[in-house]
Amino acid sequence: MDSQIRKIHQQLMNKEISCVALVQSKLNSLEQNTHNTVNSLLSDKALELAAKVDAKIENGETIGLLEGIPFGIKDVYMVQGTYTTASSNLLKNYKSPYTATAIQKLLDAGAIPVVKENCDSFGHGSSSENTIFGAVKNAKNPELVGGGSSGGSAVNVAKDFTVFSIGGDTGGSIRQPAGYNGVYGLKPTYGRISRYGLMAYASSTDCVGPIAKSIEDIRILLNIMSGIDTKDQTTYQSEKIEADSIKTSDSIKTVGYFKNFVESEAIDPRVKSDFLTVIDKIKAKGISVKPLDFFESNTLVSTYYTLAMAETASNLSRLDGTNYGNRIEAENLKETYAVTRSENFSEETKRRIVGGNQVLSQGFSDEIYLKGLNLRDQISENFEKDFDQVDIILSPVTPSYPPKIGDSLKDPLAMYLSDAYTVGFSLGQLPTLTVPQGTPTGVQITASKNNDELVLKFANFLKDTI
Amino acid sequence: MSKIMTVDVLSSIKGAQPSETVSKLFDVIKNANTANNNSFNNNHNNAVSLNHLREDIVVNSSLTEKQIIVENFPKEKNGYLVVSKVIEE
Repeated sequence: MDSQIRKIHQQLMNKEISCVALVQSKLNSLEQNTHNTVNSLLSDKALELAAKVDAKIENGETIGLLEGIPFGIKDVYMVQGTYTTASSNLLKNYKSPYTATAIQKLLDAGAIPVVKENCDSFGHGSSSENTIFGAVKNAKNPELVGGGSSGGSAVNVAKDFTVFSIGGDTGGSIRQPAGYNGVYGLKPTYGRISRYGLMAYASSTDCVGPIAKSIEDIRILLNIMSGIDTKDQTTYQSEKIEADSIKTSDSIKTVGYFKNFVESEAIDPRVKSDFLTVIDKIKAKGISVKPLDFFESNTLVSTYYTLAMAETASNLSRLDGTNYGNRIEAENLKETYAVTRSENFSEETKRRIVGGNQVLSQGFSDEIYLKGLNLRDQISENFEKDFDQVDIILSPVTPSYPPKIGDSLKDPLAMYLSDAYTVGFSLGQLPTLTVPQGTPTGVQITASKNNDELVLKFANFLKDTI
Repeated sequence: MSKIMTVDVLSSIKGAQPSETVSKLFDVIKNANTANNNSFNNNHNNAVSLNHLREDIVVNSSLTEKQIIVENFPKEKNGYLVVSKVIEE
């Protein structure tokens, strides 16, 4: 899969297609689609911007690489004047007053947003069923879930309804739906892209990232969105990744994988055998492969959810219907808060808020929350030691195939455990890319912090190897 | 006011109860082995240095931003934005 962005850019420049026709065709596909990927279409603004791009081309002016490229945005990003619902009842009529930094950078480069995309409400879920807009249906098999929480975004890219989409990844929410739908999805190093204007779920692992059909498109988008932002003081300055620099992978000598992921009872036999075949092909190329020890899936999932619930309970406490949101009036202010939140939050969101308040309360916090933080330190330390021995860690994206629509809602514990292979890298704040190859739900490539370039290098190597 | 607050009060969610599923996750943490030293804290050291703190200045919102904020407010009466009755305890 070569760069979709470069291909469309050439077609626009050569006047093989007009930007208005391109945007209109994407809007039509989105409107007619039956996968429940759309929360709202941005038709008027998108067509207005497309007409400006056509006028520039007509005048013989050159256009930037991203100018006129239609893209999708997970409905948790602020885009001024658009509905930003987080797929929730509470915010179903909420309009963004401002625009997220990452999205503004894409707008400044001329990309055209066409759709706000369906997802799990506030990012709470791994299937994109926890939404008021209907469960997102998988791009390959509509009886299965689209994955989550950025399910609408991954399906839109897979079905060519958008050229690329911007998802959000807290514990796997870009990588898992990318794997379920057969596209690329990157969770960059934490802090590489500003979170300003992304509705906060768990602030210490929330990441902005691209979903696309090629490694080159991921590289282009990562470069544009990266950089320091004074509005998110966890951001850091990163180097631009050059196209040529990711074409060779000579610097990668050793690849590691976690033994317990592959030996787990929960892993599907096909995922396991396919993953081991990938390992053999890598060895055959002369790269040394090292099995590594890691924490048990139960520990990873429990640590992640404990900390994420604590953070989301805190972040979502602002949603009380006072200044915005679907306020339900009751006899006094406190009752209004309680009724508004009880009626408007989904069961999954309520479960996470209550769990978070439990771990943060007196008596629980030492035994659970602080212990969770300590475990997170150990997990990070483990990664640091691993990356002294290996350049890349390779892992399956999920233990098994996407579940049928309806199954995850019935069994939340099974849903939490399905995140076993993604949450560890989130806790480590590491750069991780899902590539749609190797196993039925893809493989994940991870490097040490700030080493996003190495991840893309290895992805190019894998593309030619497996 | 009682010093013990139940999770439904803490969460402002009526009738909220601790979830069995979530309790299972907490049990894993309770039973896990943790390191005694807390010296390894580099990985969530995302704090900004004092030299890089942003300027302590008020940035005015644009007119469009202000208009949308007002538009999002749930209730208005005679040009005033209305909040619920505040109780004192």
